[in-house]
Amino acid sequence: MSIPLTQGAIEALYKGLPIKNPLLQLLNIRQMTSNSGLPRFRLMMSDGQHALSSFLLTTQLNHLPEQKLLVQHCICMLKKVVTSTLADGRTAVTVMDMEVVQSPEETGGRIGNPTPYNKDGQMSSPAKKSSATLEPDSSSATAPGPSHRSTSFSRSNAAQSSPTNSPMKVSPMKDTISPMKVSPKKEANSPMKFSPAKDTNSPMKASSSSPMKVFPISTLNPYQSKWTIRARVTNKSNVRQWSNSRGEGKLFSFEVVDESGEIKITAFNNEVDKFFSLLEQGKVYYISKATLKVANKQYSTLKNDYEMTLHAHSSIVPCEDNQSIPTMNCNFVQIEELENRDKDAVIDVIGICKKAEDVSRITTRNSREVSKRALHLIDSSGKEVTATLWGEEAEKFDGSGQPVVAIKGARLSDFGGRSLSALFSSTIMVNPDIPEAFRLRAWYDREGYAVNSQSLTERKSTNSGSRMNWKTLSDVKNENMGHEEKAEYFSCLATVVYMRKENCLYQACPSADCNKKVLIQHNGLYRCEKCNREFSEFKYRFLLSANLADFGDNQWVTCFQETAEVLLGHSAQTLGQLRETDEAAFDEVFQKANFRTHIFKNRVKLETYNDESRVKVTVMEVLPVDHREYSRRLLSNIRRLAF
Amino acid sequence: MKKEEASRINCSMLLQHINQAVCFVGRVSKVHPSGKTFTAVDGEGKTVTVELNCCLEEELSGVVEVIGLVSNKGVLMAATYNLLREDRGTPFDLELYNEALKVIHDFPQHYPFEAAVSG
Repeated sequence: MSIPLTQGAIEALYKGLPIKNPLLQLLNIRQMTSNSGLPRFRLMMSDGQHALSSFLLTTQLNHLPEQKLLVQHCICMLKKVVTSTLADGRTAVTVMDMEVVQSPEETGGRIGNPTPYNKDGQMSSPAKKSSATLEPDSSSATAPGPSHRSTSFSRSNAAQSSPTNSPMKVSPMKDTISPMKVSPKKEANSPMKFSPAKDTNSPMKASSSSPMKVFPISTLNPYQSKWTIRARVTNKSNVRQWSNSRGEGKLFSFEVVDESGEIKITAFNNEVDKFFSLLEQGKVYYISKATLKVANKQYSTLKNDYEMTLHAHSSIVPCEDNQSIPTMNCNFVQIEELENRDKDAVIDVIGICKKAEDVSRITTRNSREVSKRALHLIDSSGKEVTATLWGEEAEKFDGSGQPVVAIKGARLSDFGGRSLSALFSSTIMVNPDIPEAFRLRAWYDREGYAVNSQSLTERKSTNSGSRMNWKTLSDVKNENMGHEEKAEYFSCLATVVYMRKENCLYQACPSADCNKKVLIQHNGLYRCEKCNREFSEFKYRFLLSANLADFGDNQWVTCFQETAEVLLGHSAQTLGQLRETDEAAFDEVFQKANFRTHIFKNRVKLETYNDESRVKVTVMEVLPVDHREYSRRLLSNIRRLAF
Repeated sequence: MKKEEASRINCSMLLQHINQAVCFVGRVSKVHPSGKTFTAVDGEGKTVTVELNCCLEEELSGVVEVIGLVSNKGVLMAATYNLLREDRGTPFDLELYNEALKVIHDFPQHYPFEAAVSG
């Protein structure tokens, strides 16, 4: 037979009315994660008539639940409580001292049929609080945050059909197990997690009006799910479409900075529509609920091990208070220092744009057309460097008046010695509002304009220096080159050790740009399937299979017309004729070409032919060996290995 | 003396090779009027005096490769020499040669020229 509970205690406690040592039954107890690391327990107490889940156990009494003294359905005497009202009107009752007077076995289950206590039948909105945070079990009262879903407390009422049902399990609307986030202002109290039926730790989001606890960007990591950052957008990319073998979609990315650091954020597909127009470069936002993952350094150059991806529940809210957020996090490197940095390093530079060339259009290796513009930047080190802008940035750049140009996240290349190239992720700022810019302007106006600067980009103008990816033939196999979908390019020095004389030539369509193989018809004419025509003649074209070797390995390669002609020293037409007329001379061409050493620029790619995939190497260009340049490279490699 | 035994050196290494067979490559600087001796400059810009056992028949200029013995005064007593022609092929890069020289002396274990000669 259980001890009778103090009727009306719930109401009294809720209203903050004094009540001495009320006896209440514990209907449910839940542990919440706390910022301070200490567990925090939330209790749902009943006086037999009403139940209230807004009870917090003081941490001094944590041992009660931890030692299983405070368990569901036991009866407690509350000896000291503090009722407080949170900023949004919700009430929390903190139990400072209590005693368990009867165990659940003795009570025999839930006493009575308590209904959740409502002040006015309306639950107040979720909040951050002064002393305790409560779960936002809001119905209509809350002003929803961007991805706010309300769970209605009253619903759970209906769920209390069976006594074994813990009323704490406020079943959110079944269709949405929506995590809502409440970030408490104070560290001392942990946010109450309103767990939907199954899940345990879904963070809940507070309404937009509530100030939340802001985390520094540098503390973000994939193992922490409840956080909000307040940061300024430093760089916003355009929407990009992609289409590859795995599918297609659109994305845009942006970078944000706060006092502690910076991070890159990407949005895909639906989130692009949702957030692209909302975000503006230079403005500050509260961002929370995104997926953290290890940064893909291939696409981002920011100093953060992680990057973020927005998802359907992500929230981005503009923030008005933005004085403390820095505008940009740049680590400028002096131009003269660029010589000492490694090729392919990503750095920030700032300089006066002494001269900007006109925008030009070029065609890339992938046959894409793109705009580019070269800028000549000089800084107070007196050295100059050429920086290349691409695409839209190149087109809209205005270099008049020799502006200060700052580039964050440019790639350093060894093209022409040392030069810079803007990346997709770089941020270009013209005349930025930062102290370095003013300093540069002052220096330039005073003396810089007259400096006869030396450009890092012109100095070592090696004709072969640009973008050569030197490899040895053994590297191709050891590094598994070409195994990805993308083609890889490399240069090497190698000797021809064998060439397939048979089938080195094929009969091609004589039309100007068509190189398709023609089929011999019965009528003696040659038919080209591509042009859909028949011809009375054909042109010989090379398709040479050769084996190259260096000190370490050998490699079969394919040479097409131009490259084969260089190797053999004769045109395809000549050789075709020789083959028909003078076989000895034909053989001799191959003899002479054999065992010659050249520089080969190659493309290696995974090719699939009828279900079979093989890595194939194609020679793009054959160049004579420049022994001096080769020796210099060897010497520099030796010296580098020696350290 | 056999050419193969002579180690390649530049001027800074002369004194370490006294009484040894060496092979020196440098640019002819000044020829003594007697025709018996001349000076040559190496890739580092240092000078060595070369003494010939017989008079110079021809005009000597450009890059020359001399094989001989180093006297205890640091003079190269030439046994034989040959001119590297400048009019044909790529001009000889003396500075680059000097860099290579430093490498073979810094890493003799990887450039065992003497051992390769035997037999």
